[in-house]
Amino acid sequence: MSAEVKSVNNHILPHGELDGFIRKLSKKMKVVAPVAKEAGNFAFQEVSGASEIALKYVPTVLPPKKYFMPQREKMLDFDLTGAQPSDKAVIDAPELAVFGAHTCDLAGIQCLNMVFSERPRDYNYLLRKEKIFLIGMECNDYCDENASCALVNSHMPSGGYDLFFTDLGDRFMVHVNTQKAEEIVEEMGLAKASPADLAALDKVRERKRSVFRNEIGVDPRKLPEAFAKGEKSKVWEDLGARCVSCGNCTNVCPTCYCFDMADNVDLNMKTGSRNRTWDSCQFETFASVAGGENFREARSERQRHRYYRKFKYPLDKFYRFFCTGCGRCTRTCMARINLKETLKGLAKETV
Amino acid sequence: MTDVPKTAVRPKVAFFDFACCEGCQLQVANLGESLLDILGAIDVVEFREVMSEKWDKDYDVAIIEGSITDSHAEERIKKIRARSKVLIAYGACAAIGGVNGMKNSFQLDEIRGYVYGKDYKFFDSTKTRPVHQVVKVDYFVNGCPVYPPELLEVLKCALRGLPYTVPDNPVCSECKLNENVCMYERGVACMGPWTKAGCNSWCVNNGNICYGCRGEVRNPAKNAAQDVIGRFNLNPETVRGKFDMYNKCKEGDNGNK
Amino acid sequence: MTEEIKNSNWRLRKGKIIAAKQMTAAEKWFDIRLEDGSLDHEPGQFVQVELYGVGEAPISVCSSPTKRGSFELTVRAAGRMTNAMHKLDVGDYLGIRGPFGRPFPVKVMAGSDLLFVAGGLGIAPLRSLINYVIDNRKDYGKVDILLGCRTPSDMLFGSEIGAWQKRLDVNFLCTVDRGAPDWRGNVGLITTLIPGVTIQPERTFAVVVGPPVMYKFVIAELLKKNVPERQIVLSLERHMKCGMGKCGHCQIDHPKNYYCCKDGPTFTYDEVKASKKL
Repeated sequence: MSAEVKSVNNHILPHGELDGFIRKLSKKMKVVAPVAKEAGNFAFQEVSGASEIALKYVPTVLPPKKYFMPQREKMLDFDLTGAQPSDKAVIDAPELAVFGAHTCDLAGIQCLNMVFSERPRDYNYLLRKEKIFLIGMECNDYCDENASCALVNSHMPSGGYDLFFTDLGDRFMVHVNTQKAEEIVEEMGLAKASPADLAALDKVRERKRSVFRNEIGVDPRKLPEAFAKGEKSKVWEDLGARCVSCGNCTNVCPTCYCFDMADNVDLNMKTGSRNRTWDSCQFETFASVAGGENFREARSERQRHRYYRKFKYPLDKFYRFFCTGCGRCTRTCMARINLKETLKGLAKETV
Repeated sequence: MTDVPKTAVRPKVAFFDFACCEGCQLQVANLGESLLDILGAIDVVEFREVMSEKWDKDYDVAIIEGSITDSHAEERIKKIRARSKVLIAYGACAAIGGVNGMKNSFQLDEIRGYVYGKDYKFFDSTKTRPVHQVVKVDYFVNGCPVYPPELLEVLKCALRGLPYTVPDNPVCSECKLNENVCMYERGVACMGPWTKAGCNSWCVNNGNICYGCRGEVRNPAKNAAQDVIGRFNLNPETVRGKFDMYNKCKEGDNGNK
Repeated sequence: MTEEIKNSNWRLRKGKIIAAKQMTAAEKWFDIRLEDGSLDHEPGQFVQVELYGVGEAPISVCSSPTKRGSFELTVRAAGRMTNAMHKLDVGDYLGIRGPFGRPFPVKVMAGSDLLFVAGGLGIAPLRSLINYVIDNRKDYGKVDILLGCRTPSDMLFGSEIGAWQKRLDVNFLCTVDRGAPDWRGNVGLITTLIPGVTIQPERTFAVVVGPPVMYKFVIAELLKKNVPERQIVLSLERHMKCGMGKCGHCQIDHPKNYYCCKDGPTFTYDEVKASKKL
């Protein structure tokens, strides 16, 4: 493809103009971006200018999924007074721009999109998603040693965004992917990328191909076989022996979406709401039924289940891994359960 | 699941304190506007901290603060239980023994001598027990002090005759949803991984560690404790000590709670 | 607010209890009429029942779709919501979502002999199928019903069972784990009834519903009788929280990634035999 054709959708934003960009954008809608917290942690938070944003960051404590499916989400208001109870479906879907999502997190959102648009569709998710303007940010280097994005091929951009930023040193290459993004870029007056800019982008990508290498030394094409054979592998016993069942790994995972529903009554005892909250397959009662049976009682079974939900089941259903290599589960685990090591161990035992 | 007795329309509610600092009763006063809503739904008939009246009939709801630490208290709680349709153990001292449980780390006579001097035998004292180790408890409100939103949840359940289940997941599960930076990453040992959630990680949200005041989860990860202690270079004794601050009475539970 | 949200699968339909009866100490039966039309379910499907302010629980429909105008549920008081549901009576309202799930394969089974095996509360979902088959009796071959429960006083649908017993086109056998002074029937586990039933395995569908612990033993007996694996139909128990194959709670540990609420709850043994637990 020639540079001229490619440049149609590529624009340039000098570093010095990022602040103006964020400020203008935040006048149109709430803007959230990675912000530095204590002890080398980051979190997506509301920002009003570029100085608050961490442009280079290790994946945030929670992925941007928290905007697509909030930790706690009201689905229904009900009223218990009157001859019969009444209810009303509700949705809170504010206009929002997410700035600076890494490719691993964009991949995570793509996974969630598939899950919630599969029939029967979840319109609460889909309507909220429509209101979110997603701006990606390329990683030119690894964030840390826990990432495994090259293994699952999510280190390079592959759609799933409105705008995508790549740092070219003194300026950002801005790829425009949607009509909505086109309008915003035009309004902001971003210059078209020149052939020299595109050459610089090619150079960044070329360098990345040598920096980002399969992190576990196991061909990802062998993983389906490893998981097919590995149901009884001893790695699950090992994980089970160490797991705290705190649910950290699933809460921070960009593709975990299991949830629970609960009713809350207001103090007046007359009105209330029905709410959806994040749940975790790592919790002891997750797969138990009222009769007392628990279908995943052992920690080893629950850890195994988590891995199969990333590397086996979604492959059959959605033709892709539901691990985006972000490394969060490893970073957050207090008991040092390490995704890369687990995969290596499983592969060693099975393929 | 236990069948919880249903309470009357405008229930008679009484507060009682046993061995405690009465700080959890103060949380009721701290409820602010919610307090007015509650007072609209209930009829407080005894509350030593705010009123002098006494009630001589049965209670629909008895809210018990404090742990049982002598035989006089044991008799008194049994009498209250006999007069109460619903009994709520309120605050760490009542629900799990709390800091009073530290007494159980010593020989009883030794600690009595230390506190009361040579005539200690004239002062009645027993091992510290949480309320459920003495009488049947219908609802637990954990915490030191109690977490006001949870207190409201429990009261709503009690007034509607529904059971309330204390979450049996570690505090981490809520802490992560609040996107707090893990205390261990800041280099401080936190009791969150072994402590029951339900407080919305109140302490960590405010920059403090979890002290384990809500009691240990039913099935704590023993092995994981070694990994965590190892990973963060902690002293196992310090961690155990931190945990015993609130959880010493667990030894008296025989796994029935 | 968009139409999609109002009409999504989260929408609650209003159901009015038009009849209710305490069947045993633990089970209560409800007849429910939807305010806005019929449930339009098939045998083996379930509904999500919302008790406003308490919560929701998945419950099998125990009436046949051939019964029109209302549908029936049998609820065991086992958790917070179902205990609260036992306090409801005629005139009370519920929220209903559904019906959900893959029904029993009534069309595939047409023309075949049927062997129904129900344990405990398993009779509830199976009753929707049994009554459907009885109402369409000419479409099926020989029909045997085997029922097992703990004690005679745990037996559900007593009067209806009496009617099944009297029918000439249905063979009915039951057993109890523990007898009672006035019990003159069989005593023993449900598996003890299977060897005595005469079936032509190649033309028989066995439909088995009961507690998880029952499946292993009943299936072993059926396989001994040479019933093909794909003609053994089960209804599995999981906690379906959303009914849409999303919330994750009812997923079965099986290489095929089944969601009990969507791919089931009815499965052939052939489909689910690779599961860690049935």
